Amino acid sequence: MDNVSAKKNDTKKTEKLFGLSAEEYSKISELLGHEPDAFELGIFSAMWSEHCSYKSSKVYLKTLPTEGSKVLIGPGENAGVVDFGDGDVLVFKMESHNHPSFIEPFQGSATGVGGIMRDIFTMGARPVANLNSLRFGSFSHPRTPYYLSEVVKGIGFYGNCMGVPTVGGEVVFDECYNDNILVNAFTIGIAKKDGIFLSSKCEEGNIVVYVGSSTGMDGMHGATMASEEFDLKKNKKRSTVQVGDPFTEKLLLEACLEAMEKKLIVSIQDMGAAGLTSSSFEMADSSGKGMIINLDAVPLRTSEITPAEMMLSESQERMLLVCGRDKFDELKAVFDKWGLNCVEVGEVIKEKEIRFFYKSKPYKTLGVNTVVKGPEYKRPVKKPKYLNSVKPLNIDNYKIPENINDAAFKIITHPNIASKKSVFTQYDYTIGTATIVPPGFSAAVLRVNGSGAGKKGFLLNVSGNSKYTYLDPFTGGALAVTECARNITACGGYPAAITDCLNFASPEDPEVMWQFVNALEGIKSAALKLNTPVISGNVSFYNETAKKDGDKTTVHKIYPTPVIGMLGFIDDVEKAVTPYFKSEGDEIYILGRLSGNLGGSLYMDLEYGNFMQKPSEIDLDYEIRLQNCLRSLINKGFLKSASDISEGGIFVSLAESAITCPNQTLGFAVNCDTSKSGVRIESFLFSEFEQAFIISVDKKLSGPQKTAVSEICAEYGIKLEKIGDVKKGIMKINDKIDLKSDKIKEGYFSVI
Amino acid sequence: MNNKKIKAGITVFPGSNCDADVYRVLNEVFGLSASFIWHKNKIKDLGGYDFIVIPGGFSYGDYLRSGALAARSPVMEYVKDYAYKGGIVLGICNGFQILLEAGLLSGVMLTNDSLKFECKDVYLKTLNTETPFTCALKKDSLLKMPIAHHDGNYFAEKKIIESLNHKNTVIFKYCDENGAITEISNPNGSMYNIAGISNENGNIMGLMPHPERSSEKILGSEDGGYIFQSIIKYIKER
Repeated sequence: MDNVSAKKNDTKKTEKLFGLSAEEYSKISELLGHEPDAFELGIFSAMWSEHCSYKSSKVYLKTLPTEGSKVLIGPGENAGVVDFGDGDVLVFKMESHNHPSFIEPFQGSATGVGGIMRDIFTMGARPVANLNSLRFGSFSHPRTPYYLSEVVKGIGFYGNCMGVPTVGGEVVFDECYNDNILVNAFTIGIAKKDGIFLSSKCEEGNIVVYVGSSTGMDGMHGATMASEEFDLKKNKKRSTVQVGDPFTEKLLLEACLEAMEKKLIVSIQDMGAAGLTSSSFEMADSSGKGMIINLDAVPLRTSEITPAEMMLSESQERMLLVCGRDKFDELKAVFDKWGLNCVEVGEVIKEKEIRFFYKSKPYKTLGVNTVVKGPEYKRPVKKPKYLNSVKPLNIDNYKIPENINDAAFKIITHPNIASKKSVFTQYDYTIGTATIVPPGFSAAVLRVNGSGAGKKGFLLNVSGNSKYTYLDPFTGGALAVTECARNITACGGYPAAITDCLNFASPEDPEVMWQFVNALEGIKSAALKLNTPVISGNVSFYNETAKKDGDKTTVHKIYPTPVIGMLGFIDDVEKAVTPYFKSEGDEIYILGRLSGNLGGSLYMDLEYGNFMQKPSEIDLDYEIRLQNCLRSLINKGFLKSASDISEGGIFVSLAESAITCPNQTLGFAVNCDTSKSGVRIESFLFSEFEQAFIISVDKKLSGPQKTAVSEICAEYGIKLEKIGDVKKGIMKINDKIDLKSDKIKEGYFSVI
Repeated sequence: MNNKKIKAGITVFPGSNCDADVYRVLNEVFGLSASFIWHKNKIKDLGGYDFIVIPGGFSYGDYLRSGALAARSPVMEYVKDYAYKGGIVLGICNGFQILLEAGLLSGVMLTNDSLKFECKDVYLKTLNTETPFTCALKKDSLLKMPIAHHDGNYFAEKKIIESLNHKNTVIFKYCDENGAITEISNPNGSMYNIAGISNENGNIMGLMPHPERSSEKILGSEDGGYIFQSIIKYIKER
């Protein structure tokens, strides 16, 4: 790279390689007082990349609610921290690894999981659970099976070896991801309240220490690559993908936690995106200090590496930490025990600059602020043209299908609805002896071992709906938060805090920025209402690909895909409720209200090939009352099951409740006079994301108990309506649906 | 004899990751005195322990072959001495793979026939109750336990299988929830549905499922606990 001449007349070429705009290049020259050389340009291009600087999103991210009574540390550190009580804290974050996973799905997804786990244990927390949110192209696309199998293998490879259970997630297929798959990885860890480590505590005279794997040529320019759209030659970007070694990370985890336990570390940061560059500059910046970095001391895998490459390598399983000089020997002994590098590479200085030494001589000096304070854009925003054609649905314009049984079967066996069990079973979800509700149900429920926590536990869920966000970005953003909360509440938990992973196309397109700004507004309004502050997160732009279509080049953009990861609390894990029916004869109710709006639904897409209609808006005030009501019913022990009504509608909720019961195949007989509310049967069966839950209660509930249930519903002003009973083996709804549970079960479990 | 007086040693290799679970279950659920044995441990005589557990995980990252490097680690020499003298050694999952690689048990583990990592609940049929690991169980008892492995497809040449059968050292086989040993209930392609075997003397056992993850009702099954209860019973009665 040093051979690359970065002269002004070469700006065009530079721009291409380094991902900087001409204006940014001029700004850098101005700040430096000279044309940047390859070393400087490398550092600036990484730190000013969208991935590291959040230059297009920062203005808006600042408006998110980040504070709450339980929030100890919000966005800005490696991960957010929430108070769990009894001296324990939970540390969590979600991050995207989309671009690397499309180039090399196995390593891309594996290192995504590795990276997010490092973010968590950097804070001093032991990772206790992983989740993920995955988006693949159309299920019938010839490349989809390859991506699915490699991504899942990569996630399992890393998480299983680390011994961290993967307890949940989502897998969605849509043709908008044919050329840009999404891999969002979530990790949560647990720590003692007084055992949290930050990147901002460096003191003058402390020494800077490099620990973990040696530095090689992998992942070069990864941050810059992740801030660009793909073109037709994606294979050329293969060397920008990192290669993961979970075994080394397991050793690094144990060594770091041991060193932290022994109080040998002052400050620490993961060498993730932009490796040594971001870790050194960001630690110096957040501590208000500077550093001397001696490049001769950096452990290397190859001697054929330039100083710029050392700074930009994204070799995995490395950390930069700062410790007191008097603690170094003890620190080294810990890392020696685990067979890892532990090398002094510099010193913390008062002056806010990084002084690089190379071949025993001063090499370069760069001001910390100059590099870290990247550009901040308020990019042009314009309402997308396509939204003008998204109108409310008038279902009367569509003919009622002759056989609703067929429509129902098509929906329950659609890849986005069908069971993902064959995916979850490739992840170790039982290690840690803490998983109370395994993957595949509403939310994962975990207990806490080895502390005074008693029976209390926590719940986790990740959700996002890109189709709805495409049709109505505000509602889609709000829905992602609400849907997580519904899943957590349906188990009996209280929503507590969220992390967000915002996956969008290019921010340089004003229409994409409009989607972004409005989706974020949706997230914001739901997070405020539900009292779930955003404590960490990540933005991934440029999820688009230019493709040649004859002579024309068209840009394929993903639907806007905001994904939310939510943490909830529960006082007694033994009281957690699962979504499936428990016994024949139990009574089935709808708690809440139905809109019957099929706009944007899977039903409209499958039956009529047209889903471009407006989805229902969410009444957040009603939502809170509904969820409080449900939680109250669960806490009092009245419910045997609770399930929200999400994609596929009531039919899918009922069918899943019947066939996911582990030991038996149940069914239902439902009779509901839908004409009373003036909706057609399909609207009742398939309208999605209703503000309602399907619940089941014991038929032997006593008179006073039934009264108590009614009183709770009345107190919150929520309608409760009995619609049927749990049966064995059959699925009947009015005189329209008549199916065999076994057949539905076989279909549901055999698609993926 | 008080459970607290029973001393268990849990080996820890780089990459072991079920060590903490076994430690917690033995100490907290069964009230034993369990402690870790670091792989570079210099205490040659493990005689102070009542039994040794080689826990699961990815020792040495499964490099070369699952269990191959750990089997050649210094501490395994002491474990071998301990086992040859009749000490009770239980290998779980990767621990089973290590026992095979160390030659303490016969046979090898191949990659699962699905070629995938498999994490799920399985049922085991107890075939031999005359061992320290099964003495609290009745013959043919069914145990529900989770598996979580990539290489659990047990394979051995005919001579070894004959010897296992002859000496009654196949301790557990995968079966369905009714106890039928069927192809469909075999989660990994193991020969004859073999899930756990012992040596001829019965003091060394390896099994792929995780008893430590199924020793508490809240986790969905307490059946794995019978294996630890058997060990406790055996030690108390010997």
